[in-house]
Amino acid sequence: MLKIERPLPHGGRLVERVVRDPKLAKKMAKGCPVYDIKPTLHFETGVPVRNVYREIMSICYGFFSPVEGSMTQAEVERILKERRLLNEWVFPFPLVFDISEEDYKKLGVTSGDRVLLRLKGEPFAVLDVEEVWRIDNPEELAHKTFGTPEDNPEVVRERFDKKHPGWVIYRSLNPVVLAGKYTIINEPKFKPPFDRFWYPPRKSREEYDKRGWRTVINHQTRNVPHVGHEFLMKDAAFIGDIEPCHGIQVNAIIGVKRRGDYPDEAIVEGHEMVHLAGYIKPERHLVTMCLWDMRYGNPLESMLHGIIRQNMGCTHHMFGRDHAAVGEYYDMYATQILWGKGIPSFGFPAPITDVPYGLQIRPQNMAEFWYCPKCGEIAYSGTCNHTKEKQKFSGSFVRGMVAEGVFPPKVIFRPEVYKVIVKWWKKFGYPFCNEKYVKEKEERLEVDLPHMEV
Amino acid sequence: MAHFIAILLDEKRLDALKGTGLEEKISDLFGGALKALNIEVPEEAEKGIMEAFTAARIDSRGAITDVPIAFNRVLFEEIVKHKSIGKEVFDSVLARADEIKEAAAKESTYLPPPDIDLSDIEELQKKPYQSA
Repeated sequence: MLKIERPLPHGGRLVERVVRDPKLAKKMAKGCPVYDIKPTLHFETGVPVRNVYREIMSICYGFFSPVEGSMTQAEVERILKERRLLNEWVFPFPLVFDISEEDYKKLGVTSGDRVLLRLKGEPFAVLDVEEVWRIDNPEELAHKTFGTPEDNPEVVRERFDKKHPGWVIYRSLNPVVLAGKYTIINEPKFKPPFDRFWYPPRKSREEYDKRGWRTVINHQTRNVPHVGHEFLMKDAAFIGDIEPCHGIQVNAIIGVKRRGDYPDEAIVEGHEMVHLAGYIKPERHLVTMCLWDMRYGNPLESMLHGIIRQNMGCTHHMFGRDHAAVGEYYDMYATQILWGKGIPSFGFPAPITDVPYGLQIRPQNMAEFWYCPKCGEIAYSGTCNHTKEKQKFSGSFVRGMVAEGVFPPKVIFRPEVYKVIVKWWKKFGYPFCNEKYVKEKEERLEVDLPHMEV
Repeated sequence: MAHFIAILLDEKRLDALKGTGLEEKISDLFGGALKALNIEVPEEAEKGIMEAFTAARIDSRGAITDVPIAFNRVLFEEIVKHKSIGKEVFDSVLARADEIKEAAAKESTYLPPPDIDLSDIEELQKKPYQSA
């Protein structure tokens, strides 16, 4: 069989833990102790670095299938040791609902209890507590989460520290973990522009059916696309099977960002503009998003990306150099090593698609694209031999040009895409995420919640 | 290996370089779509830049980037003043580090957006292909 079929969700079935019947929802929440969700604050600066609501959304809508809730201590320990859930399926990161000792005392819950979680003052979800456990040493948890040069010499190059935003998230966790399954009882409504990019796995699979897509390649993004990204998408999509991939999906990670990233609004609309302005046919291009405060965990993040996009129904996933990376903590090809031959110290002696309970989505490991003045086009580094003449797309070079207010040439940014950056720049007074943007966004979030009386 | 800084040149900056003798140092980027002065940074100066501006880093091209916008502005002013891209330019720039830092602090909260016409994209966005 040469034709590739859509993969099953990771774990065999899609998790969907969303109650849409208001009567049932109210019944589930009635009489429960209430906890108002708070952002996780940086352990030193107090700046928001994560909001657990995003994890609850991604779990309950099935992006993280087969995960169903906040993890027990045994599950977290298994992940840190072997990157597997207790049911054997591979998974990269601990996901926990953490609260302070003070809040825990006020709540007064124990295993077997149900907690009503409120977001923006409205009922949002319930958490059925199976276990209460404590994070004794968040620094140790942070190190174990990302690996160390001693324990993971294949890919970890530097010891993680407070300059790494993902490490900071784990270092900043509260000490008490309420483990158990989440269920959303009051569906949040996405605000524009996010509302038209919300395709949780069941909906994305239905959308592929509607569009007649059997093969779909995913492009991970946390960027407004420059022309190099566009050519990566277009060229990687030739893989397919007996024909190029039917669909090109962009899945933007929406959540707390680091300074210098583009605002989320500009990222999703920038990608949309690629098809609105006709650079990729809209019939072949789907812009979507997933809520997650990025851990920047390079190979581990790529594993999560594979899980998310397999759950969405993608057959292929493109991975580049320094995938979801920041700094030089990991080898620049760590992701491609994981998908190409495996990382034994993380529990994968073979590629992550070739181990039991592994992934089914196929990697398309790509090198880089550059502009070649001699070829007069965007060229693939594996093909173009004009290495002296090449002009690389450096993200920081492009950001510098944007910040100086220079209108980028067409070979760097499509003019319409650049104008999307300017649109949001005018709104926020800044072209990139800065402390003000992060603080305000963490207050308003991407969603509003309908009023619900319990 | 010596690293470099690329100063992007718009029309105004190109005019300012006329008669300085530096015109021949102007290079084409992206097939001539952009003009730039690529300036090799002496080792001592690089050390000073990295110490003074902690966000600065070396990118995959070997360029020193992520310096404040004010840094590039001051660097260009000093180049024009000295009619040179030599060590003395960096000495003068680093002597103005406090002034650059002060300007950079304001840059972290506000940058003026370019005044360009957005009507074409507003028109396209009125008819999105994907709907909520």
